[in-house]
Order: sequence, then structure tokens, then C-alpha cells
Amino acid sequence: MAEIEESQAQRDAIAVDRTKGDFKYEENYAFDAGIGLSAKVVDYISNVKGEDAWINEFRQKALKVFNDLPMPTHWATEDLKNIKFDEIRYYLSKGQKASRTWEEVPDDVKETFERLGIPEAERKFLAGVEAQFDSEAVYSRMKDEMSKLGVIFCGPTEGLRDHPEIFRKWFGKVIPTGDNKFAALNSAVFSGGSFIYIPKGVKVAQPLQAYFRINAENFGQFERTLIIADEGSEVTYMEGCTAPKFETATLHSAVVELVALKGAKIQYITVQNWSANVFNLVTKRGVAEEDAEVRWIDCNIGSRLTMKYPGVVLRGKRARGEVLSIALANDGQHQDTGAKMIHAADDTSSNIIAKSISVGAGRSTYRGLVHIPKTLRNCKNNTECDALLINEHSRTDTYPAISVRGQKNSVQHEASVSKVSAEQIFYMMQRGLTEGEAMSLAVNGFVNDLVKEFPMEYSVELKRLIELQMEGSVG
Amino acid sequence: MPDSLVIKNLNASIGDRAILKDFSLTVPKGEVHAIMGPNGTGKSTLAKVLAGHPDYTVQSGEAFIDGEQIIGQEPDAIARAGLFLAFQYPSEIPGVTIANFIRAAIVARQAKGAPFDAKAYYAELYAKMDALKMDRKFTARFVNEGFSGGEKKRCEILQLMMLKPKYAVLDETDSGLDIDALRIVSEGVNRLRGPDMGFLVITHYQRLLEYIVPDRVHIMYDGRIVHSGDKDLALELEAKGYDWVKKDLASA
Amino acid sequence: MTTLTSMPSGILDASLQQNETKRFAGNDWFIQLRQLGWKNFEALPLPKRDDEKWRFSDTRSLSLADFTVAAAPSDADTAKLIGQSHFITRPAGLIIHIDGHCVLRPVIAPELAAQGVKFESLEDALRHHPALLKEFLLKHEANLGGAKFLALHQAWLRAGYVLHVPKGVEITQPFVSVNWTLTEGAAIFPHALVVAGDHAKVSIHEFNLSALPDQRALAISAADLHAGTGAHISRFAVQAWGKNAQSFEIANTCGGRDALITSVNAALGSRRARLENTVRIEGPGADVRLYGISVATGEQEFDQRTLQIHSAGKAKSDLLFKNVLLNKARTIFSGLIKVAPDAQQTDAYQTNRNLLLSPEAEADSLPGLEIEANDVKCSHGATTGQVNPEELFYLLARGIPLAVAQELLAEGFLEEVLSKVDNEEAAAVVREMFRQKFHTA
Repeated sequence: MAEIEESQAQRDAIAVDRTKGDFKYEENYAFDAGIGLSAKVVDYISNVKGEDAWINEFRQKALKVFNDLPMPTHWATEDLKNIKFDEIRYYLSKGQKASRTWEEVPDDVKETFERLGIPEAERKFLAGVEAQFDSEAVYSRMKDEMSKLGVIFCGPTEGLRDHPEIFRKWFGKVIPTGDNKFAALNSAVFSGGSFIYIPKGVKVAQPLQAYFRINAENFGQFERTLIIADEGSEVTYMEGCTAPKFETATLHSAVVELVALKGAKIQYITVQNWSANVFNLVTKRGVAEEDAEVRWIDCNIGSRLTMKYPGVVLRGKRARGEVLSIALANDGQHQDTGAKMIHAADDTSSNIIAKSISVGAGRSTYRGLVHIPKTLRNCKNNTECDALLINEHSRTDTYPAISVRGQKNSVQHEASVSKVSAEQIFYMMQRGLTEGEAMSLAVNGFVNDLVKEFPMEYSVELKRLIELQMEGSVG
Repeated sequence: MPDSLVIKNLNASIGDRAILKDFSLTVPKGEVHAIMGPNGTGKSTLAKVLAGHPDYTVQSGEAFIDGEQIIGQEPDAIARAGLFLAFQYPSEIPGVTIANFIRAAIVARQAKGAPFDAKAYYAELYAKMDALKMDRKFTARFVNEGFSGGEKKRCEILQLMMLKPKYAVLDETDSGLDIDALRIVSEGVNRLRGPDMGFLVITHYQRLLEYIVPDRVHIMYDGRIVHSGDKDLALELEAKGYDWVKKDLASA
Repeated sequence: MTTLTSMPSGILDASLQQNETKRFAGNDWFIQLRQLGWKNFEALPLPKRDDEKWRFSDTRSLSLADFTVAAAPSDADTAKLIGQSHFITRPAGLIIHIDGHCVLRPVIAPELAAQGVKFESLEDALRHHPALLKEFLLKHEANLGGAKFLALHQAWLRAGYVLHVPKGVEITQPFVSVNWTLTEGAAIFPHALVVAGDHAKVSIHEFNLSALPDQRALAISAADLHAGTGAHISRFAVQAWGKNAQSFEIANTCGGRDALITSVNAALGSRRARLENTVRIEGPGADVRLYGISVATGEQEFDQRTLQIHSAGKAKSDLLFKNVLLNKARTIFSGLIKVAPDAQQTDAYQTNRNLLLSPEAEADSLPGLEIEANDVKCSHGATTGQVNPEELFYLLARGIPLAVAQELLAEGFLEEVLSKVDNEEAAAVVREMFRQKFHTA
């Protein structure tokens, strides 16, 4: 069992343990936009942040779009109707500025992140960290050598204020306000998130990390992320998310825009372990210019409902897009995830591998979109969706949409549904494992090829998260 | 040389990798030439390039069938000009029967609008299948689909017999054949030998040349012919092994 | 739009529909059925662009205006078209309609009649076997988007056939139904009702054609197929309406325990053709196979929507739809496999393959799964691409010109489905139709 010991040692060493997310601290906020959503709330957020007029206009316009757009229940789940927008708090902060040392972070907040193991992970393997507590970042620091190379890593308020020449050009361009109802909501009330710029040719070896924590009940977190990788640069960004278990529903609705300019590479890694009352409705899209690559590596565990379909617009020749996704839906959970690949230049290629596990009465859904228009040549897409159903009433759905024209383009989509074979379980039990352990091993085997794509620090943790979810799934 | 397959200073590559390097060879009509050589030396590339495969790029050089340039022509035009390639790995064509397939190939060689004599066609097809000991039911099977290695190679020779090209390139036709199939396939080729057809037999082993006795044997290494001789060269090569080629002949 | 702002006429004219309905006096239930159809038709909206069940379809050009129910054909036309309707040398029975009028009533062998086999026009069956019709006719809704079209079909229901093969009777020779459209602007609403009793075996072939290739026509067809315990139904439906026709077919199939159902749909004709095929698997051991093939040319749109509902466990379903696209044609395949929560040990498969032979053609694919039981084997696959370059090279290397090689490969591509047709004569007829279509594309 050397391997288990080794992975235990790794876990202890790093311990960004999202399994430990279920605790909370008292809520005492200096800035609170109150309950419900209105033009006044939007003004309040703008005022607290001291924003330029154009940003307030952008927000107010988005609020109108949000109010005008219907809930997308003609294709999505009716559960969306249970979100009570009038009972949510849209902005909460302790009035802090993002500190550059953990010592300056308020004790209760610091303790939250220490329990989650963030400061330690930063020392071990990260090039930069940002920690967000409800609406605002409480900690933001990047290693000095990164700053010297011209890398920018800040929040949207700072990004739009201090570097408008870099960020304004792309802000809201990859995902326009009207893209969908929740992108509009985010555009109206966004706060926190990461704005990152990697200069030409800079290859950031270690990942940049952001950590999102919801601490208050009936709260909506609306972070906004924009990453611009200039020509020939490379960056890996990781985000983790948790919230305590509340009695009432909480909303997380982020917008993430990625821009990979000519020859750049962006890898965006998410490990989400929201508690089971969070509506997690996130819009993520990247643009890949000539020879650029955008990879989304996405793991969705927890939440009541996740709707997330990371996309790549392949805008330049030979651009590559990839989505690797793992979803695990337990009782009362619906993981509605997928991918979108919009081919918009010749010789572009895209790859989607989505694996889902449904446990108990959990439901996982794959939605995909692959679009190749008629003017294009030599584009390729490969999509594989595999669903594993653990219990008798576990549910899975697959709804891909594939549209192809043009010359020498080819797409291939395959999906399968299976369960863990009884023989496999028996074999492992005969070797002395309990049924639960055997099931857990089998599930880890099912996602193993994708887990390997996560950085080692995350893959260890992921396996542990999956084991936790599998506890009590049999017997 | 009007009555020959002539290859002159051919340079060809796949992707960035140069494979044929100033390759030259002449096969007069009526003769059987064999090309032997170690794996990866460019033998199969030569066959594909002559047949006009789109994956390969010809940088320079020429190839002529009885004086007609074939480099740069479409694969079907090259075939109709008289070059037949027996594939090392023949494609499976689902849903297309052998009978329809060979018929389409024959019709393509006829003058436009000329009537097709189905009766004569089937008579000839069946006779040739009998000679190759192929079950007549094969005509209704889809081209190469689910065929064993031996059946695929027999199907290639059947097509060769039906299409009667000026020159045939046999690419590793012996690979995957047991001794009985090898004998049947070789007999088929030997029946076709005569003043009207030239053969280029590509093989890794001398074994095939016991059945199809060549007029000339060429040894290919690193993209070109490094040594030529009569049929005894094959035996010498068999005795000395390919290391001999790599050490002695490559430097020559 | 069907909003009746101007004076409606033809099939949108309520008074015409009511007048025709009066013909069925004495069959009150049927009158009610037609009236309900009209009521539903008027209540339902035409599909719109953002309707999920019509995703990728060209809903803007949907129009039901300017179609009329045509008068009975002349004797000369009737004789001519009957002469062109013999696709199979010895069918178990042949029924022919022209513009929705039955012009050849089927005659079946006395020994079949003696065993209780019924093959009649819908109107005759309405008089002779009302109980059978009441039990099986239009028992299912159109749940794939075509409810308005099915309602209109129901409102104008008159044409079509009823085929009933009682318990234990096995018939190998296919029954044949031929539908023609003849008059410019004709609308027809043919219905197919097939009931196979327990352990009965039956095969039906349907040929749908237009007498004139350029004629405008509207065909809204529906099929109800019921297979009892251990029954075998094989259906081969050929859609070869003229190139200016609009056609809609809504098929509902129910399979009981151990039933074996094979359905092959071949699509050649129509400017736009939509097929909605729902299969309900209601008994364990059932085995349902749905196949489709098409060659779409010009600006044709072939819209294929399928639903495999597994309500009972231990059953199988398999689906394969293959489309060849040329010119500016478009095909849409949207399929869903639904496995109910208790339908354990289901095997369900779905495959869509599209061969694009033109850069301007468009193939859309929406293969879906909704699985609520865990002990299942389900998969789907969809591919869209050109001919395999290695296969193409092999043909070219034999001297076959590019155009011929592509056609051969496309025919080979279709052969996988044509080989499932249970009658070689019928398969050959359709193979030749596809070949002709290639040559005129």
C-alpha cells in the first residue's frame, strides 16, 4: 500500500482541502447592499468600488438585459425557477483591501483560509494567489519575479482602473452581457475575481490560483475573471470554490473570459466542491487566436444545480480547444455541464472528454455544442461522453448538438452509459475490500485518465473528494 | 524509353521527412524486377508515390509509363494510364461489392458511353476467380470487408488480372500469406507474365522470389537503389542479411 | 403563419373540413375524432425558431397555406399510375391511393382472408371494423414537435389503409401501399394502421410518390403500428414525393413482450421532409430496430426526429440513420433514448452517420440520452465527415474517376441500411432510385 501512503503524504503536505469547507464564521460586514436586486443596489456596488461612470453604465444596462431575458427553462431544468432573486444579498464585504500578507488579513477570514490550507499551498507550489471572501478579495499576492516580468494579477476593480488599456478592450467581449440571463446578472453586480495579463512570450511555470469562498447565507457571489495571454505566452490558472452548508439556497454566478492571442496557451483548472444548496450558474468562454490553445479542465462536485458549459471560439488558424470535464452528482444534485466548440477558422481542432458519475438519485447531464460553418476547411472535433450510474435510480442525460458544413471537416461524437460491473466489484471484494471501497476504486478508475490531466496537487485531492462522495453509496 | 516504366531522380517526402532521395529505376515491359530492402527504407513510399497518393509530396523527379509522365497526375488517371498497385494493406470498402467495384473500374477504362458486356464480364470474372481458387460468392461480398489477409491479397491479384495494366507494382504482396496462399497468388502473377506487362515486386523477404522468379533484383536503402543484380542477388542478401546492406552498400 | 386573417380556403377552411366530416355520419366517434383534430389544430401554434423540438429546422418556410383536398383522379390518370405502382411482383396485397382517393382496393388471397387477415382502405375498415379502429387508431400524441401537423392529419383523416394480422398468422410476402400525389397544390393525409396479434408476422412496404416531379404538394402522414406479444412487424417506407412537396410523417410504434419490430425509412423526395418516429417498448424481450437512409440534394431539408422509449426492462432497441448530402442540402437528425426508472437491463443504441459530399451541405446531429436506470447498456454515436480518404484512394488507384468513386462509396455507405430491408426486390427498386438521384444531383 505504498501508493496510498504516498498519496496521504502528498495530501498532508499540500492539504488544500476542500472537503473541509463546511464551517462558517460570523457575519459582520461593513458594506452590505441589502436584500434584493435593483438599480440602487447596482449603484451601491459602483459607489463602494469608486468606479468610473462607464462601468456603472455597463452594470445598469446589464441589469435591464437581465430583467428582460426569460429564464431558459425551455431547455433547462425547471429548478431554476426556485432561485429567489429578491431574497439574495448581492454585495457583502468587510471593507478590506486585498492584503499582500496573510498577517494583515482579518483573523476570522484568515482562519477560514488556513483551515482550507491556502497559505500553505501558496508556499509550496503557486506563483500567485488570490483569496476571495464573499464579494471581495481579502488576499492577493504574486511572487515578485512575476511582477518583474510584467505579469498582472489583480481584481476587476483594480484591473479596469489601473490597466484600462489592457483590459477594457476585451472586457465583456468574449461573453457579451446579453449572452444569457446569468451572464447579464453577473455583468450587473460583478465583484471580485481575477484579471490577469501575461505579456508576450512570458511562460508562467507555476500556476496562479484563486480561491472563492461563500461565507454568508442567502448570498450571491458574482466574481468576474478575464485572462489575457499575449502572443506566445503560457499560463495555468486554478480556481477552487467552497461554501458552508446553509438551510437556504445560495447563488454563484461567475463570468470567465479567456483570450489566448497568437501562439498563446491558457489552461484553466476548476475544482468545485460547493455545498448542496448552491445554484452554480457560470458562463466560461475563451477565444483562441492563430496557433493558440485554450484548455478547460473542470471538475464539478457538489452544488444543488450546476449549469456550466465552458466554450472555446477557435478564431485563428490552427487554434486548438479542449474541455476535459468530470462531474459527480449525488442525491438532490444536478450537474448540468458540457462544452461548446465554435470553429471559426481553418485547420482548427477541438476535443471534448466528459465523464460523469451519478450517485443515489443524482442527475448528471451533458450538453454539447460543436459548430463548423461552411466557409471552413480541415476542422476536426472529437467528443467522448461517458456516464457511470451507481445506483438504481441514478440518472444521466446527454444532449449534444453538432452542426457541420464546409470541406474536409470531420466530427465524431460518442457517448456511453454504464454501471460498475458486478464482477468487478466481486473481484475486489474477494481481495478483501468492502463494497464501498471497491465502488470507490472503480469510480476512480473510471475517471483516472482525466484526473491525470490535473496538476498532481489537485489530482490527489480530487481522488479524495470522490472517495468521500462514494461513502455510503452502496449497501 | 517508350516501352518501360522509367523513374528518374525522384525525391519525395511525407510531411517534413524526405523518403525518396534521387530514386531512379527502369523496368522494361515484359520483365519482372524485384526491390528488396530493410524496413523503413522507402519501398512502400515508392509504390504510393508512383500511384499518386495525396499524402506524399514530390519535390523533384519524373516517372514515365511508356513515355507518359505520371508524376503530378491524379491517382485515377495514373491507374488508367496503365499502372496497377497491389496494396500492402488493401482498404475495406463497406457496402460496395467486388463485382460492382471491378465493373466500375472496367467501365472507367472504356470509351465514354460504350456498352458494357455484362455477360462477358462475369464469364471472365468467374474464370479468374476459379484460377485463384476464390469462391464465386465473393463477388457479392463487399470489397475486402472482413477478409482474411490471404483473401485480401487474392482479391488484389484478381483485380490485377481483370484490369490488365501495363505495369504492376506489388507492394509486399507476400506479407500475411501462408504457404498455400503464396503459391496461388504467385501462380496468378506468373500467368500474367509476358511481353505486355512489366512487374515491380516489392518484398522484404526472398521467399516470394522463389515463386515469382525476377529478371532483376534491386536493393533499396535510405531512399534509393544501392545495388542491382540478377536473381542470385536475392539469395546473397538472404545469406548475408540486411546489415550487409547497411554497412557495405550504403557507403558505396 | 396560419392566422386566418384573409379568407381561408382549402385545408385551412373550417367549413370545408366540416362538410367532409359529415360524410362519416353513423360513425359518431370518428366524426368526433376529426372535430377534435380540427380543434387542436386551431389551438396549436406553428413551430417557431426557438422551439427546441424544431432546433436547426427551417421553421420560417413552414406554411400550410394554399393546399387543397383534390378531387378524384380521372380514369386515364388512374390507369396510368396503377400501371406504375407494381414495385414487387407478388405482394400479399396492394392498395393504391391517388391524391388521397383509394383507386385500387386490395384483394388478398382467400387463405389469408380465411385466417382473419384484414387489409382494407381506412374508409372501408371504418365501415367493417370500427371496433378495431377505435382501439388502435391515433392513440398516441405527437410528442416530437409535430402535434399541430398530426392534429391537421386527424381533422382530414380519410385516406390510408388498415392491416390486421391476427394471432399466430405468419405472412412473409410484403403488403404494399402506394400513395401518389397528382394535382398541383394537393394536400393528402394518408394513414397507416398495422396491428399484429400475438406471434403474428407481417411485412408492409409503402411507396410515396408524386406523378409529376415539380408538382407542389403537402403530405401529412401518420402511422400507428402495434405489435402484440412475440409479434414481428417489418415496415419499409419510401418517401419519394416530388421535389416541391412538403411532407410530414408522424409514426408511433408500440412493441409488446418479445415483439420484433424493424422499420426502415428511405428519404429521397420533398423540398422539406420531416419524420417523427416514436417507439414505445412496453414489454420485456422486445427488440426494435429503427433505420433511416437518405440522399439529400439541391436545397432539400430532411428532418429526422426519433424517440426510443423503454418503459419495460430487458428489451433492446437499435437505431441507425445514415444521410448522404450533396449541393446545399441539409439533414437534421435528432434522436433520444429514454430509459424509464424501472427499465433495468435495457440495451439501447443510436447511431447517426452523415456523409458530406459538398462544402455547402449541412448536417446537424442531436443524439440524446435520458437514462434513469443504472443496469443498462446504452450508447450513441454521431459522425459527420467526407468519404474516407484511404478508401477513396483505393478506388482512384483502380482508375475509377473521382465522381464515380464518390458515388460508389456513397452507395456503399447506404448499403448497410438497405441490406436490412426484408425484401430484395424492394431494396433493389430503392437502390436504383438512389442511383438515379445521384445522377441528377
